[in-house]
Amino acid sequence: MHDYTMPFGPQHPSLKEPINLALELDGNYITGVKMRFGYVHRGVEKIFEGKDVQKVLYVAERVCGICSYAHSSACTRAMEGILGLEAPTRVKLLRTIVAELERLHSHILWAGFGLHEIGFQSMFMLFWRERERVLDILEAITGGRVHHNYNKLGSVRYDLPKGCEELMRKNIAELEENLPGLIKEFEKNSVVLARFKKVGKISRKDAITYGLVGPMARGSGVKSDIRKIDPYEAYDDIRFNEILEEGGDAYARAKVRLTELGESISIIKQCMSLLPPKPAEKWKWPPIKTGEGFGRVEAPRGEDFHYYEIEDNIVTRGKIRTPTLANIMILEKMLIGAEIGDTPVIVASFDPCIGCMERTMVIDKGKKNWFTESEFRRKFCD
Amino acid sequence: MKRSPWISHYNASSCNGCDLEILACLTPRYDVERLGIVLRESPRHADILLVSGVVNMQNKDRLKRVYGQMAKDKYVIAIGACGISGGPFHEGWNMAGPVDKVIPVDMYVPGCPPRPESIINAIAKLLEGLE
Ligand code: SF4
Repeated sequence: MHDYTMPFGPQHPSLKEPINLALELDGNYITGVKMRFGYVHRGVEKIFEGKDVQKVLYVAERVCGICSYAHSSACTRAMEGILGLEAPTRVKLLRTIVAELERLHSHILWAGFGLHEIGFQSMFMLFWRERERVLDILEAITGGRVHHNYNKLGSVRYDLPKGCEELMRKNIAELEENLPGLIKEFEKNSVVLARFKKVGKISRKDAITYGLVGPMARGSGVKSDIRKIDPYEAYDDIRFNEILEEGGDAYARAKVRLTELGESISIIKQCMSLLPPKPAEKWKWPPIKTGEGFGRVEAPRGEDFHYYEIEDNIVTRGKIRTPTLANIMILEKMLIGAEIGDTPVIVASFDPCIGCMERTMVIDKGKKNWFTESEFRRKFCD
Repeated sequence: MKRSPWISHYNASSCNGCDLEILACLTPRYDVERLGIVLRESPRHADILLVSGVVNMQNKDRLKRVYGQMAKDKYVIAIGACGISGGPFHEGWNMAGPVDKVIPVDMYVPGCPPRPESIINAIAKLLEGLE
């Protein structure tokens, strides 16, 4: 058997987003990986510059469509820190509800995708049917299924509309009824076990050395939940568990995500019972300030970090570190030595969000493929 | 191509939002397969290409290539504000422009992201127009 290189992506059945992996193969085994990115880079951080803080909130949400609210809440947290604003309790609870609903929809989406990768189409459909119930609630609260634009600095755009609480109770009851059955099927099914167990192992030591975040780290038994480490919004007043698994394989990571579904539902219910009566205060324009600050939140995929510098409320520099950016470094190590057939499962077990991850881009123009900042600006920005 | 179009989807630097809504079309709530619309992975099998997002420089050649791989009688639908005008990313530094600057587009679906209903409606309208 001779060696050869096989391209995986950018347009590939098992990828929902374009990346390109050049897999070097020896027979059925992977001996080397070259990753090529940049297909979804949009230069969001550059777009931030010169925009008003309120507008940046809108663009920040569009970094990614799956964890859209996580980005806007990280941005809000950073901006509110700089401007010295503090949201009222009701607002904090509402934001927490939306954040947890987003975690629900993202984890259900992942479960569907993971099963789609191994060809388990009927479970994929069943999970996605449940996801629509979550989206219904999100749409009722915020007005959008994917992008919500829910946060304002110091407030939220809408309070709960009429009839929304009943809808929430009804849909959450349905979710509580349907999800455990699906999760049980996931845990018991022999095909799932055969494809997910002992695939893509990450040891606890590697998880710490590579600085993994979110379910990737928690699947290897490393504590990394920002909601516990650095509580924000209403997470201080709410009781929930940080889910840890010891296995370190694709199955353990799936377990973390699926168990978090139950936690999220319980957080939403607690928030609903804590909601105080409507606040009477009117929203005020934020004060005008200069400064810098950062905000971090626990996105469905892990820690999402935003940093901003503002000058008289105009953003002069923005920097985002997304969870997939932190996690992707270990992909090469995991793929080497694996069987080619396991590639989709390994990539899926990351829950990669390439749209989030594309924070840099190297353009190959002739021999020189790096630029200093001034060269870069001259070439591409002016 | 008359009644049962096969569609393929290409993500040309979109934010995922539009891709999610395209996928949601497949799932039980909307279920396009009952209308005879099938999502194919390979563009070689497809009649209609759904393109989401504003095309960046790295994606440009890829998109052209994917379009070239499709068989004759091909149609392109640009999904979302990004595909129409660049949307929130129109001032990005590495943009090759909206989809119609790169490949010919037959139909546009506005929204950020458009609802699954409007995507299905667009495909139905396209079919109507062909008759
Ligand atoms: S139109 Fe909106 S949802 Fe669609 S890719 Fe562009 S920013 Fe994302």
